[in-house]
Amino acid sequence: MIKATNLVKTFGKVKALDDVSVEIKKGEIVCLIGPSGSGKSTLLRAIKGLEEVEQGEIYIDGEKFDKKNIKQQNKMGFVFQHFNLFPHLTVLENLTLSPIEVLKMSKADAEVLAKDLLIKVGLEDKIQAYPNQLSGGQKQRVAIARSLAMNPEFMLFDEPTSALDPEMVCEVLKVMQDLAEQGMSMIVVTHEMGFAKKLSSRILFLEEGKIVEESSPTTFFENPKTDRAKEFLEKITYLQ
Amino acid sequence: MTLSDMLTVENLTYLLNGAMMSLFIAICTFTFGTILGVIGAAMKISKSKLLQWIAKIYVDFIRGTPMLLQILFLYLGFPLIYKMVTGSFIRVNPYVIGIIAISINSGAYVTELIRGGIQSIDKGQWEACQTLGLPYGLTMRKIILPQAFKNVLPPLVSEFIMLIKDSCLISCIGAVELLQGAQILGARYYNYVVFLVAASIIYLIMTSVVSFFANKLEKRLAAND
Repeated sequence: MIKATNLVKTFGKVKALDDVSVEIKKGEIVCLIGPSGSGKSTLLRAIKGLEEVEQGEIYIDGEKFDKKNIKQQNKMGFVFQHFNLFPHLTVLENLTLSPIEVLKMSKADAEVLAKDLLIKVGLEDKIQAYPNQLSGGQKQRVAIARSLAMNPEFMLFDEPTSALDPEMVCEVLKVMQDLAEQGMSMIVVTHEMGFAKKLSSRILFLEEGKIVEESSPTTFFENPKTDRAKEFLEKITYLQ
Repeated sequence: MTLSDMLTVENLTYLLNGAMMSLFIAICTFTFGTILGVIGAAMKISKSKLLQWIAKIYVDFIRGTPMLLQILFLYLGFPLIYKMVTGSFIRVNPYVIGIIAISINSGAYVTELIRGGIQSIDKGQWEACQTLGLPYGLTMRKIILPQAFKNVLPPLVSEFIMLIKDSCLISCIGAVELLQGAQILGARYYNYVVFLVAASIIYLIMTSVVSFFANKLEKRLAAND
């Protein structure tokens, strides 16, 4: 279980996180939704320790999270909007680097694992390619496989499809759907309402650094509790 | 006196020996300069204000004064300081002093090159390493430095070419390299132009060869960009 209590983070005068508390249990798929600048990415990054918070604590399975604690870090995989693959390493090396260096896996074992994961994301033929030879969607699938190689209990996605061309969004969502159906716990910052509606177990709607609504997907999309969520949904479904 | 009287095998060998000395000095100073540069860059991007401050003074001082002055200062100043501290005289070798002085000088420039190269790496690379549990040292060694090296290769090659040419500055403290060798021969025959032209051709050949191989290396490294 991941638990965040009373997180506060400011950028200059802007409160990106304004006393946010959240709990995510194993097996849950939680989508963070909200307008840009609402603090949803900051919340996700704070949970992973990528963002220093001014106040508040993160707990993982009841233990206080220390971002230097590699065992705790490895419980959470993280997927970035801009992939952040290592451009000078092949796909295979991108996947095996951490298992070998951090988990002290043997090279052979790491390569078997990497191949399995690449089959999972449908990219076994790209094993020797460099990231620059891949499309955006392929890069993101490699990035997901790279995170999975550390065998995390939770997967954190920070707008994984926002930097992709429209026709590539699907292939990434498909991989995420597979993961969801296999029971992976996920926290997803997304603008893909279809994904949120269909696969999430819970929706957190953020605005101005606060969680303003917490609902099941059915309630959120069909009968949102707050006016703000209603307004937001009207805006994004315009002309649909 | 004809050209063939002056450009004898003996004289050409003398010039080539000078060229070898220039190249030797360039290789030594480049090696030490790069080591100093990596240390300087590490200090500049460290979290310690003191280390940052020391590196800044080093770079600002070296870049703000002429290299010729630094060579002369070390050559003339070092024995003086040695005598003040130990009370005895020391004879310094101009080649050794020259290499030390130029290395210190080059190190300041390389510090800035490498610092820039490291800082040009996208923040996302650091973050990806953090999310994968890679510690700082491994992140640096496996991810940041290999990419930074590729970025700084062209300016590093320029630095090396500069060192081949700047090695002639140590002639001012009595060391003989290519340019000084040409001047010595020029004085012997009362004809400087021939030997200066010969020296410039040798300099050009050396720098062109370095550029050629550097370009090849650069292309190979850029293959997966």
